Amino acid sequence: MTDSKKVLIIVPALNESRVIGRLIKEIKSHCPQGTIVVINDGSQDDTAPEAEMAGAQVVSLPYNLGIGGAVQTGFKIAAEGDYDAAVQIDGDAQHDPQYLHRVLEPVLTGKLDLCIGSRFLAEGPGFKSTFTRRLGIRFFARLLSGLTRVPLTDPTSGFRATGKKLIHEFAQYYPVDFPEPEAIQTAKRLGAAVGEVPVKMRKRLGGISSIRFLKTFYYMVKVTLAILIDTLKKRPPKEIS
Amino acid sequence: MNAKTFAIIVAFLIVGFIVDLIRRQKMTFKYSLFWLSASALTLLFAFCDRMLSRLASLAGFELTSNFIFFLYLAFVSLLCLFLTVYINEQNSRTESLAQNLGILQFKIKELEKELERKR
Repeated sequence: MTDSKKVLIIVPALNESRVIGRLIKEIKSHCPQGTIVVINDGSQDDTAPEAEMAGAQVVSLPYNLGIGGAVQTGFKIAAEGDYDAAVQIDGDAQHDPQYLHRVLEPVLTGKLDLCIGSRFLAEGPGFKSTFTRRLGIRFFARLLSGLTRVPLTDPTSGFRATGKKLIHEFAQYYPVDFPEPEAIQTAKRLGAAVGEVPVKMRKRLGGISSIRFLKTFYYMVKVTLAILIDTLKKRPPKEIS
Repeated sequence: MNAKTFAIIVAFLIVGFIVDLIRRQKMTFKYSLFWLSASALTLLFAFCDRMLSRLASLAGFELTSNFIFFLYLAFVSLLCLFLTVYINEQNSRTESLAQNLGILQFKIKELEKELERKR
């Protein structure tokens, strides 16, 4: 039943020509029913032709919009194409496509409106990262769990699936710069059901993380404020599903 | 030259400059209205300095000059705030334009491919 639904796989990519081809082929083998659209966020290298050669549809932005603007482009395409679900997976191949189904499942069955793949729920060896990174993730997990009353472990994860109603909301408004934690609060404000499923993440194969060490503190302050400001925003009159 | 004459000359220069900008269509009506009223106020205060000092003492300022500085700062701060909102609006518009441009280019490419296949 879930196979008949229209799924858009959004792959935001910035200068990932080394890994994007392999990633697209992997996604295709794990999720052949999905439409893959690579959002080329102003790459300077051959990301677009590499992705096209691997069989993905490629939307190239005229200049770099950042991850938020890139992902929102995907939501706009999903909203226009009347897709049932959109799943976002990073173009740096950090997210393992074999978990695509697991992330999509709760959204396709209607259990959740926003399903996040968490690297901290997974069994087996844990996720290795720098101390500050882990501290930041923990901090946002606590903050968002408190605000949304949903137990969250990995609010910064960009491996997530979104249902139809949220797709249309996110096509209208999606946070910029470092959107993942804020998007959770926005979704919750709109009355969406949010949850997590365990996934494993790999070491980055290429590209560089958009969050560099010195910027971590700035992002933490910025995103915290953005989340708190979002709680002040107007709630919709109607509940989502 | 006394301060009043100087203030009047400067006020007239400002008004003249703004009118010239509007004449050369460097400013749209929305913003010209804002600047015209600001310059009208400057002219009014330049001529009626007694009214200005009465207003200053009414607001609790001992020195009229302090009142002028206060008005000026409040004006500039407000202007900054408006410009921030304006920049923000432009920002989200260009972002939206960039996204839609990307999507349109993609659609054109797809259509071209389809045409090629049909030929």
